[in-house]
Amino acid sequence: MGRHVLKGLQRLGVVLLLVAGGVQPLWAADGGVTIKNDPETGTKSWKFAGNGLDIELIQVPPDFIRASYSARGLPPSVSEAVATRCVFGTIVRNVSDSPLSYRVADWRYMKADGVELPIKTKTEWLEEWHGMGVRFSWSILADDPTFAVGDWIQGFTTMAEPHGSRLSLKLVWSIEGKRYEKVLSNLECAPAPEHDS
Amino acid sequence: MKKFCPIWNVRRRPSMIRSVPALLLLLLACTVGAADLPPLGHKMNSISPPLAAPDFTLPDMDGETHSLSEFRGKVVMLNFWATWCPPCRREMPSMQRLYEKYSERGLVVVAVNQFEDPDLVFEFTGRLSLEPTFPILFDRESRVSEQYKVKGLPTTYLLDREGRIHYRAIGGREFDHPDVEALIEGLL
Repeated sequence: MGRHVLKGLQRLGVVLLLVAGGVQPLWAADGGVTIKNDPETGTKSWKFAGNGLDIELIQVPPDFIRASYSARGLPPSVSEAVATRCVFGTIVRNVSDSPLSYRVADWRYMKADGVELPIKTKTEWLEEWHGMGVRFSWSILADDPTFAVGDWIQGFTTMAEPHGSRLSLKLVWSIEGKRYEKVLSNLECAPAPEHDS
Repeated sequence: MKKFCPIWNVRRRPSMIRSVPALLLLLLACTVGAADLPPLGHKMNSISPPLAAPDFTLPDMDGETHSLSEFRGKVVMLNFWATWCPPCRREMPSMQRLYEKYSERGLVVVAVNQFEDPDLVFEFTGRLSLEPTFPILFDRESRVSEQYKVKGLPTTYLLDREGRIHYRAIGGREFDHPDVEALIEGLL
Protein backbone atom coordinates (compact mmCIF):
# COMPACT_ATOMS: atom_id res chain seq x y z
CA MET A 1 0.00 0.00 0.00
CA GLY A 2 1.33 3.38 -0.94
CA ARG A 3 2.54 5.97 1.49
CA HIS A 4 -0.04 8.39 0.15
CA VAL A 5 -2.86 6.02 0.93
CA LEU A 6 -1.55 5.50 4.44
CA LYS A 7 -1.36 9.24 4.98
CA GLY A 8 -4.85 9.56 3.64
CA LEU A 9 -6.09 6.91 6.02
CA GLN A 10 -4.51 8.71 8.94
CA ARG A 11 -6.36 11.84 7.90
CA LEU A 12 -9.53 9.86 7.47
CA GLY A 13 -9.66 9.31 11.20
CA VAL A 14 -9.20 13.01 11.73
CA VAL A 15 -11.96 13.91 9.29
CA LEU A 16 -14.29 11.36 10.83
CA LEU A 17 -13.65 12.94 14.18
CA LEU A 18 -14.31 16.36 12.74
CA VAL A 19 -17.48 15.22 11.05
CA ALA A 20 -18.61 13.66 14.28
CA GLY A 21 -17.78 16.84 16.16
CA GLY A 22 -15.43 15.09 18.52
CA VAL A 23 -12.52 17.52 18.58
CA GLN A 24 -11.82 20.66 20.54
CA PRO A 25 -11.13 23.20 17.80
CA LEU A 26 -10.36 26.87 17.68
CA TRP A 27 -13.44 28.89 16.84
CA ALA A 28 -14.02 32.25 15.23
CA ALA A 29 -17.19 33.97 14.05
CA ASP A 30 -17.62 35.76 10.72
CA GLY A 31 -20.97 37.17 9.65
CA GLY A 32 -23.04 34.50 11.36
CA VAL A 33 -20.68 31.81 10.18
CA THR A 34 -18.56 30.04 12.73
CA ILE A 35 -15.14 29.06 11.48
CA LYS A 36 -13.40 26.14 13.07
CA ASN A 37 -9.67 25.66 12.64
CA ASP A 38 -8.27 22.48 14.05
CA PRO A 39 -4.62 23.19 14.89
CA GLU A 40 -3.75 19.53 15.05
CA THR A 41 -4.72 18.76 11.47
CA GLY A 42 -4.93 22.17 9.85
CA THR A 43 -8.42 21.29 8.70
CA LYS A 44 -10.91 24.15 8.57
CA SER A 45 -14.67 24.11 8.68
CA TRP A 46 -17.50 26.63 8.41
CA LYS A 47 -20.82 26.38 10.24
CA PHE A 48 -23.98 28.40 9.79
CA ALA A 49 -27.33 28.11 11.54
CA GLY A 50 -30.31 30.26 10.65
CA ASN A 51 -33.84 30.18 9.24
CA GLY A 52 -34.26 26.54 10.17
CA LEU A 53 -31.07 25.32 8.50
CA ASP A 54 -27.93 24.17 10.24
CA ILE A 55 -25.06 23.45 7.87
CA GLU A 56 -21.39 22.68 8.36
CA LEU A 57 -18.79 22.44 5.60
CA ILE A 58 -15.50 20.71 6.39
CA GLN A 59 -12.43 20.64 4.18
CA VAL A 60 -11.80 17.17 2.80
CA PRO A 61 -8.21 16.53 1.72
CA PRO A 62 -7.79 14.65 -1.57
CA ASP A 63 -5.81 11.87 0.08
CA PHE A 64 -8.77 11.18 2.34
CA ILE A 65 -11.00 10.75 -0.68
CA ARG A 66 -8.51 8.48 -2.39
CA ALA A 67 -8.08 6.34 0.72
CA SER A 68 -11.76 6.21 1.51
CA TYR A 69 -12.81 5.21 -1.98
CA SER A 70 -9.95 2.76 -2.33
CA ALA A 71 -11.01 1.08 0.90
CA ARG A 72 -14.47 0.60 -0.60
CA GLY A 73 -12.88 -1.12 -3.60
CA LEU A 74 -13.72 1.70 -5.99
CA PRO A 75 -11.48 2.10 -9.04
CA PRO A 76 -8.99 4.99 -9.24
CA SER A 77 -11.02 6.55 -12.04
CA VAL A 78 -13.84 7.12 -9.54
CA SER A 79 -11.69 8.39 -6.69
CA GLU A 80 -9.56 10.65 -8.89
CA ALA A 81 -12.59 12.30 -10.44
CA VAL A 82 -13.68 13.38 -6.96
CA ALA A 83 -10.25 13.88 -5.36
CA THR A 84 -9.11 16.34 -8.00
CA ARG A 85 -12.03 18.62 -7.09
CA CYS A 86 -12.56 20.97 -4.19
CA VAL A 87 -14.54 18.87 -1.73
CA PHE A 88 -16.29 19.77 1.51
CA GLY A 89 -17.76 17.26 3.91
CA THR A 90 -21.22 18.73 4.41
CA ILE A 91 -23.63 18.16 7.28
CA VAL A 92 -27.14 19.54 6.82
CA ARG A 93 -29.74 19.57 9.61
CA ASN A 94 -33.33 20.69 9.74
CA VAL A 95 -33.53 22.62 13.00
CA SER A 96 -36.91 24.18 12.20
CA ASP A 97 -40.34 23.01 13.32
CA SER A 98 -41.47 22.21 9.76
CA PRO A 99 -40.25 20.16 6.80
CA LEU A 100 -37.21 21.66 5.09
CA SER A 101 -36.10 20.99 1.53
CA TYR A 102 -33.21 21.98 -0.67
CA ARG A 103 -31.90 21.16 -4.13
CA VAL A 104 -28.16 21.13 -4.68
CA ALA A 105 -28.98 22.05 -8.30
CA ASP A 106 -30.13 25.45 -6.94
CA TRP A 107 -26.88 26.07 -5.09
CA ARG A 108 -24.06 28.03 -6.75
CA TYR A 109 -20.47 28.67 -5.90
CA MET A 110 -18.67 31.87 -6.81
CA LYS A 111 -15.03 32.46 -7.47
CA ALA A 112 -13.28 35.77 -6.87
CA ASP A 113 -14.39 37.03 -10.29
CA GLY A 114 -18.02 36.69 -9.22
CA VAL A 115 -18.97 34.10 -11.81
CA GLU A 116 -21.62 31.74 -10.46
CA LEU A 117 -21.14 28.06 -11.20
CA PRO A 118 -23.28 25.01 -10.46
CA ILE A 119 -22.28 22.16 -8.19
CA LYS A 120 -22.13 18.67 -9.64
CA THR A 121 -25.05 16.87 -8.04
CA LYS A 122 -25.26 13.39 -6.59
CA THR A 123 -27.57 12.42 -9.45
CA GLU A 124 -24.91 13.49 -11.95
CA TRP A 125 -22.18 11.62 -10.07
CA LEU A 126 -24.24 8.46 -9.88
CA GLU A 127 -25.06 8.58 -13.58
CA GLU A 128 -21.33 8.75 -14.24
CA TRP A 129 -20.46 5.97 -11.80
CA HIS A 130 -23.26 3.68 -12.85
CA GLY A 131 -22.21 4.23 -16.47
CA MET A 132 -18.79 2.89 -15.44
CA GLY A 133 -20.41 -0.14 -13.86
CA VAL A 134 -19.83 1.13 -10.32
CA ARG A 135 -22.89 0.70 -8.12
CA PHE A 136 -21.61 2.76 -5.19
CA SER A 137 -24.35 5.23 -4.30
CA TRP A 138 -23.00 6.96 -1.23
CA SER A 139 -20.59 9.68 -0.08
CA ILE A 140 -22.04 12.55 -2.18
CA LEU A 141 -24.54 14.83 -0.42
CA ALA A 142 -28.15 14.00 -1.24
CA ASP A 143 -29.26 16.48 -3.86
CA ASP A 144 -32.98 16.96 -3.33
CA PRO A 145 -34.16 15.74 0.06
CA THR A 146 -37.05 16.91 2.14
CA PHE A 147 -36.20 16.71 5.82
CA ALA A 148 -38.80 16.26 8.49
CA VAL A 149 -38.21 17.85 11.86
CA GLY A 150 -34.93 16.69 13.35
CA ASP A 151 -33.70 14.97 10.19
CA TRP A 152 -30.13 15.47 9.08
CA ILE A 153 -27.72 14.16 6.51
CA GLN A 154 -24.08 14.29 5.55
CA GLY A 155 -22.06 13.87 2.37
CA PHE A 156 -19.53 15.47 0.05
CA THR A 157 -20.16 18.69 -1.83
CA THR A 158 -17.87 18.93 -4.85
CA MET A 159 -16.80 21.95 -6.84
CA ALA A 160 -14.70 21.84 -10.02
CA GLU A 161 -11.97 24.06 -8.57
CA PRO A 162 -8.32 23.40 -7.75
CA HIS A 163 -7.20 22.52 -4.25
CA GLY A 164 -6.51 25.57 -2.16
CA SER A 165 -9.01 27.74 -4.05
CA ARG A 166 -11.12 30.32 -2.27
CA LEU A 167 -14.77 30.59 -3.12
CA SER A 168 -18.20 31.51 -1.82
CA LEU A 169 -21.20 29.23 -1.70
CA LYS A 170 -24.79 30.35 -2.18
CA LEU A 171 -27.19 28.06 -0.36
CA VAL A 172 -30.89 27.94 -1.12
CA TRP A 173 -33.54 26.10 0.91
CA SER A 174 -37.22 26.33 1.61
CA ILE A 175 -39.53 25.77 4.53
CA GLU A 176 -43.30 25.70 4.04
CA GLY A 177 -42.93 27.30 0.63
CA LYS A 178 -40.77 30.15 1.85
CA ARG A 179 -37.41 30.39 0.12
CA TYR A 180 -34.24 31.29 2.00
CA GLU A 181 -30.73 32.08 0.81
CA LYS A 182 -27.38 32.41 2.52
CA VAL A 183 -23.96 33.06 1.05
CA LEU A 184 -21.02 31.53 2.87
CA SER A 185 -18.02 33.64 1.89
CA ASN A 186 -14.30 32.93 1.81
CA LEU A 187 -14.50 29.17 1.97
CA GLU A 188 -11.14 27.57 1.39
CA CYS A 189 -10.77 24.32 -0.45
CA ALA A 190 -8.45 21.81 1.19
CA PRO A 191 -4.88 22.43 0.11
CA ALA A 192 -3.15 20.12 -2.30
CA PRO A 193 -1.18 17.40 -0.52
CA GLU A 194 2.56 17.94 -0.33
CA HIS A 195 3.29 15.12 -2.76
CA ASP A 196 1.12 16.82 -5.40
CA SER A 197 2.69 20.22 -5.06
CA MET B 1 -28.88 -14.06 22.72
CA LYS B 2 -27.74 -14.36 19.15
CA LYS B 3 -30.95 -15.88 17.92
CA PHE B 4 -31.35 -13.67 14.89
CA CYS B 5 -27.72 -13.16 14.01
CA PRO B 6 -26.11 -15.97 12.10
CA ILE B 7 -22.69 -14.41 12.33
CA TRP B 8 -22.10 -16.38 15.49
CA ASN B 9 -23.08 -19.56 13.77
CA VAL B 10 -20.35 -22.18 14.10
CA ARG B 11 -20.48 -22.73 10.36
CA ARG B 12 -19.08 -19.28 9.87
CA ARG B 13 -15.44 -19.27 8.91
CA PRO B 14 -13.12 -17.05 10.92
CA SER B 15 -13.36 -13.44 9.95
CA MET B 16 -10.71 -12.17 7.58
CA ILE B 17 -10.11 -8.56 6.84
CA ARG B 18 -9.26 -8.64 3.20
CA SER B 19 -7.19 -5.54 3.00
CA VAL B 20 -5.03 -3.37 5.20
CA PRO B 21 -7.03 -0.27 4.24
CA ALA B 22 -10.18 -1.97 5.43
CA LEU B 23 -8.55 -2.85 8.74
CA LEU B 24 -7.23 0.66 9.22
CA LEU B 25 -10.58 2.12 8.36
CA LEU B 26 -12.14 -0.12 10.91
CA LEU B 27 -9.66 0.82 13.59
CA LEU B 28 -10.08 4.49 12.83
CA ALA B 29 -13.81 4.13 12.84
CA CYS B 30 -13.67 2.58 16.26
CA THR B 31 -11.57 5.41 17.65
CA VAL B 32 -14.52 7.77 17.45
CA GLY B 33 -15.89 7.73 20.94
CA ALA B 34 -19.28 8.95 22.00
CA ALA B 35 -18.21 10.95 25.06
CA ASP B 36 -17.60 14.30 23.36
CA LEU B 37 -20.21 14.09 20.65
CA PRO B 38 -23.46 16.05 20.53
CA PRO B 39 -26.51 14.04 21.53
CA LEU B 40 -28.44 12.18 18.85
CA GLY B 41 -32.03 13.16 18.30
CA HIS B 42 -34.94 10.91 19.16
CA LYS B 43 -37.77 12.02 16.91
CA MET B 44 -39.15 9.70 14.25
CA ASN B 45 -41.51 11.35 11.82
CA SER B 46 -44.92 10.01 10.93
CA ILE B 47 -45.69 8.90 7.40
CA SER B 48 -49.36 9.42 6.76
CA PRO B 49 -51.00 7.46 5.36
CA PRO B 50 -48.69 4.52 6.05
CA LEU B 51 -47.00 3.10 2.95
CA ALA B 52 -46.57 -0.54 2.04
CA ALA B 53 -42.93 -1.48 2.57
CA PRO B 54 -41.44 -3.06 -0.56
CA ASP B 55 -40.44 -6.66 0.00
CA PHE B 56 -36.84 -7.66 -0.65
CA THR B 57 -34.53 -10.61 -0.30
CA LEU B 58 -30.92 -10.16 0.80
CA PRO B 59 -28.10 -12.35 2.12
CA ASP B 60 -26.88 -12.32 5.70
CA MET B 61 -23.32 -12.80 6.96
CA ASP B 62 -23.38 -16.45 5.97
CA GLY B 63 -24.85 -15.82 2.56
CA GLU B 64 -28.22 -17.23 3.58
CA THR B 65 -31.05 -15.16 2.17
CA HIS B 66 -33.82 -13.50 4.14
CA SER B 67 -36.90 -11.65 2.95
CA LEU B 68 -38.62 -8.80 4.69
CA SER B 69 -41.86 -10.75 4.38
CA GLU B 70 -40.41 -13.34 6.80
CA PHE B 71 -40.98 -10.80 9.53
CA ARG B 72 -44.62 -10.17 8.72
CA GLY B 73 -46.54 -10.25 12.00
CA LYS B 74 -43.74 -8.41 13.82
CA VAL B 75 -43.03 -4.75 14.21
CA VAL B 76 -39.91 -4.09 12.16
CA MET B 77 -37.27 -1.40 12.62
CA LEU B 78 -35.56 -1.30 9.22
CA ASN B 79 -32.21 0.49 9.33
CA PHE B 80 -29.98 1.37 6.35
CA TRP B 81 -26.38 1.85 7.43
CA ALA B 82 -22.65 1.42 6.79
CA THR B 83 -19.63 1.12 9.06
CA TRP B 84 -17.97 4.26 7.64
CA CYS B 85 -20.97 6.38 8.60
CA PRO B 86 -20.34 7.93 12.07
CA PRO B 87 -23.99 8.39 13.10
CA CYS B 88 -24.74 4.82 11.97
CA ARG B 89 -22.14 3.56 14.39
CA ARG B 90 -23.37 5.76 17.18
CA GLU B 91 -26.99 4.73 16.95
CA MET B 92 -26.40 0.99 16.66
CA PRO B 93 -26.02 0.27 20.40
CA SER B 94 -29.34 2.01 21.05
CA MET B 95 -30.99 -0.23 18.44
CA GLN B 96 -29.58 -3.26 20.22
CA ARG B 97 -30.90 -2.07 23.58
CA LEU B 98 -34.28 -1.48 22.01
CA TYR B 99 -34.20 -4.92 20.43
CA GLU B 100 -33.33 -6.57 23.72
CA LYS B 101 -36.18 -4.77 25.44
CA TYR B 102 -38.91 -5.47 22.89
CA SER B 103 -37.95 -8.55 20.88
CA GLU B 104 -40.02 -10.92 23.01
CA ARG B 105 -43.05 -8.71 22.45
CA GLY B 106 -42.66 -8.79 18.68
CA LEU B 107 -40.08 -6.20 17.62
CA VAL B 108 -37.36 -7.15 15.18
CA VAL B 109 -34.54 -4.89 14.05
CA VAL B 110 -33.22 -5.48 10.53
CA ALA B 111 -30.00 -3.64 9.65
CA VAL B 112 -29.36 -3.39 5.91
CA ASN B 113 -25.71 -2.66 5.26
CA GLN B 114 -24.75 -0.71 2.16
CA PHE B 115 -21.98 -1.75 -0.23
CA GLU B 116 -19.69 -3.37 2.33
CA ASP B 117 -17.91 -6.64 2.72
CA PRO B 118 -19.45 -9.02 5.30
CA ASP B 119 -15.99 -9.70 6.74
CA LEU B 120 -15.46 -6.02 7.46
CA VAL B 121 -18.90 -5.73 9.04
CA PHE B 122 -18.32 -8.86 11.10
CA GLU B 123 -15.12 -7.40 12.50
CA PHE B 124 -16.83 -4.08 13.14
CA THR B 125 -19.77 -5.51 15.06
CA GLY B 126 -17.44 -7.59 17.17
CA ARG B 127 -15.76 -4.43 18.39
CA LEU B 128 -18.93 -2.62 19.40
CA SER B 129 -19.54 -2.12 23.10
CA LEU B 130 -22.90 -3.80 22.61
CA GLU B 131 -22.81 -6.39 19.85
CA PRO B 132 -25.89 -6.49 17.66
CA THR B 133 -27.83 -9.73 17.83
CA PHE B 134 -30.43 -8.65 15.29
CA PRO B 135 -30.15 -9.63 11.62
CA ILE B 136 -27.67 -7.77 9.44
CA LEU B 137 -28.33 -8.09 5.72
CA PHE B 138 -26.15 -6.99 2.81
CA ASP B 139 -27.38 -4.69 0.06
CA ARG B 140 -24.11 -4.67 -1.85
CA GLU B 141 -25.46 -2.76 -4.86
CA SER B 142 -27.88 -0.54 -2.90
CA ARG B 143 -30.84 -1.77 -4.92
CA VAL B 144 -33.01 -2.11 -1.81
CA SER B 145 -32.07 1.33 -0.53
CA GLU B 146 -33.07 2.67 -3.95
CA GLN B 147 -36.44 0.94 -3.60
CA TYR B 148 -36.89 2.73 -0.29
CA LYS B 149 -35.66 6.04 -1.75
CA VAL B 150 -33.01 6.34 0.92
CA LYS B 151 -31.30 9.71 0.52
CA GLY B 152 -28.53 9.25 3.06
CA LEU B 153 -27.23 7.04 5.82
CA PRO B 154 -28.46 6.23 8.32
CA THR B 155 -32.13 6.12 7.43
CA THR B 156 -34.55 4.12 9.55
CA TYR B 157 -38.14 3.04 8.99
CA LEU B 158 -40.60 1.67 11.51
CA LEU B 159 -43.07 -0.86 10.10
CA ASP B 160 -46.23 -2.24 11.65
CA ARG B 161 -47.11 -5.94 11.85
CA GLU B 162 -48.71 -5.76 8.40
CA GLY B 163 -45.56 -4.41 6.76
CA ARG B 164 -46.64 -0.79 6.43
CA ILE B 165 -44.20 2.07 7.02
CA HIS B 166 -45.46 4.36 9.79
CA TYR B 167 -42.37 6.34 10.78
CA ARG B 168 -39.06 7.45 9.27
CA ALA B 169 -35.88 9.03 10.58
CA ILE B 170 -33.07 10.42 8.40
CA GLY B 171 -29.84 10.79 10.36
CA GLY B 172 -28.73 9.21 13.60
CA ARG B 173 -31.11 8.73 16.50
CA GLU B 174 -31.08 7.42 20.07
CA PHE B 175 -33.61 4.68 19.52
CA ASP B 176 -34.10 3.57 23.10
CA HIS B 177 -35.39 7.01 24.01
CA PRO B 178 -38.90 7.03 25.56
CA ASP B 179 -40.25 8.95 22.54
CA VAL B 180 -39.26 6.16 20.17
CA GLU B 181 -40.37 3.49 22.62
CA ALA B 182 -43.80 5.11 22.76
CA LEU B 183 -44.10 4.76 18.97
CA ILE B 184 -43.15 1.10 19.20
CA GLU B 185 -45.59 0.49 22.02
CA GLY B 186 -48.26 1.96 19.78
CA LEU B 187 -47.45 -0.50 17.00
CA LEU B 188 -47.02 -3.61 19.13
